[in-house]
Amino acid sequence: MSSAFLGGARDRLLPVSIPFRFFVSAALFHLAAWGVLLLEADQLGGFTGGPGPILAATHLATLGVFAMTAIGASYQLLPVVTRRPLARDWPTRLSFWLLSPGICLLAWGMDRSSPGAMQTGAALVCSGLTVFAMLTADNLRRAGSVAVVAAHGWAALLALVGLAVLGMLLVWDFQTGFLDDHAGLAVIHMVLASYGFMGLLVAGFSLVLVPMFALSRSLPQRPGWAQLVLAGVSLASFACGRWTGNTAFNWLALLAGFGAAGTYLWLMRAAMARRMRKRLGLSFVLIRASWGLLGISLILGAALLADLPIPNAPALFGFLLLAGWLSTFLMGILQRIMPFLASMHASGKSGLPPPPSDLTPQTPLKIHAFCHFGALACCAAGIIMETTALIRLGAVFGCVGALAFVGFALIVLLRLRAFQQGS
Amino acid sequence: MSFTRRTAQLLHEDHQGTIEVIEALDQLIAKARKKAPDVSDAAVNKTLTKASVAIEDEISNHFAFEENELFTRLEEMGDVGIGEHLRSEHAALLPLGKTVAEGARAALQGGFTDQTWPPFRNAAAELIERMFSHIQKEEMALLPALEDLLDPETDMQLSSAYEAAHL
Repeated sequence: MSSAFLGGARDRLLPVSIPFRFFVSAALFHLAAWGVLLLEADQLGGFTGGPGPILAATHLATLGVFAMTAIGASYQLLPVVTRRPLARDWPTRLSFWLLSPGICLLAWGMDRSSPGAMQTGAALVCSGLTVFAMLTADNLRRAGSVAVVAAHGWAALLALVGLAVLGMLLVWDFQTGFLDDHAGLAVIHMVLASYGFMGLLVAGFSLVLVPMFALSRSLPQRPGWAQLVLAGVSLASFACGRWTGNTAFNWLALLAGFGAAGTYLWLMRAAMARRMRKRLGLSFVLIRASWGLLGISLILGAALLADLPIPNAPALFGFLLLAGWLSTFLMGILQRIMPFLASMHASGKSGLPPPPSDLTPQTPLKIHAFCHFGALACCAAGIIMETTALIRLGAVFGCVGALAFVGFALIVLLRLRAFQQGS
Repeated sequence: MSFTRRTAQLLHEDHQGTIEVIEALDQLIAKARKKAPDVSDAAVNKTLTKASVAIEDEISNHFAFEENELFTRLEEMGDVGIGEHLRSEHAALLPLGKTVAEGARAALQGGFTDQTWPPFRNAAAELIERMFSHIQKEEMALLPALEDLLDPETDMQLSSAYEAAHL
């Protein structure tokens, strides 16, 4: 049976090794990000940017965990959603082999403030992202259906181009210092990466994945378009505000951002209210928590703009945006789609596919969820109270949770292999 | 989901009906746990009655239609993997559906005992999990593909034949 999945170029199911190499790497980078934070916990509270271990940990999370998860999921899910198979398989592997060493080198260079390593790493990462962008654009170009999801994909790609160009400029600027406003561009780069590229992918895929997993009745299309337009206005206004120094743009960005997030949360609430599957399991505890953390990140963003006296507000904002919203959401989705996809590629001795629960080890997921929330609470409190011991405790929680998640990913793979060999 | 093709809409409605039965069965198992439920309880009786009739009929007609009329067309288009996987899931679901339907019928006649409840519960739990996962895949990967797969004329022929078989 598995030979069928090696399939022709017109098959929408990719070989399982393609999405899984991205997912397992994401789990490993997740562990690496928390590991760096554990070793350098004293630097998190006052972090406002610049090379060093916190920037390295940030990119291990954003590129290593978020982008790897998004790319692996996009390669497998977009052809299914758009009903257009990828033109070829090999570029997906190429993008992985450009990205994974690139991320390691970039993070190492950032940790050691080594311009050469950062530049080489950034070039590899951008090459990998270019391959991803070309494959995705080709798929979206041929997608005549699911227009609202495809439009989110196009907008995410646009944000990806912007963040990649800015990222390259920022990396080269560490050596030459040719940029007038390095910090301002770094903020635009971060917002384009988190709310832009990742946020738009999350918002777009959520329109498909959340109703599918919850077995909800149809979601209205118009709010989906509204969230996209509002997100676009928000990102563009924010970039204009930082570029021109006109704070009115920043407030417009914030208002539109709240509108986009509010629309997204309203859609997700509708999906939950209309769902036919009542018991959604641990993954949806994480996914629902991430929705709350998205709101908190925006409120903190508003507090930053208003210059409210919150201790270490930039670090707290960045932490809750990345480790809070995005990481929580993606870990919830990953633990759902890994066994789901694996079950599509496995068959037991009887030739029948195993149910996803036979591939899902529950204990590592429970450990991960407990530790993840413990890590968020301790680190956030540590940042506010400027207490390194609390941040370090949070990082210990984060490492244990991430280790449990690596265990989960490996067990899924081992069980998949056992089923494949059994057949 | 809403679909422009009538065939996809009919299959989607089937899914909704099946989910209703399966969800009720899931609630029954979650509530009863290891203790055999009392079949004279109105809610238990209603769920078992639905399970004894709906699951077997629905899935056998539904699966046969998909395998004979839709997967073959998907495969002709080169989209082999999804049809083959869904076929193998059907092969796993059909005997489970029959076991659960037979168990429900037997329970409606003579109630559950400490001997009959555990195997019924296990079979139902496996059916529930497999069915939810299966419907999720069909809703995401099969039904939307029918929009491209079927032209309006074929859609009309297939949906009319399917509706007639359901009467």
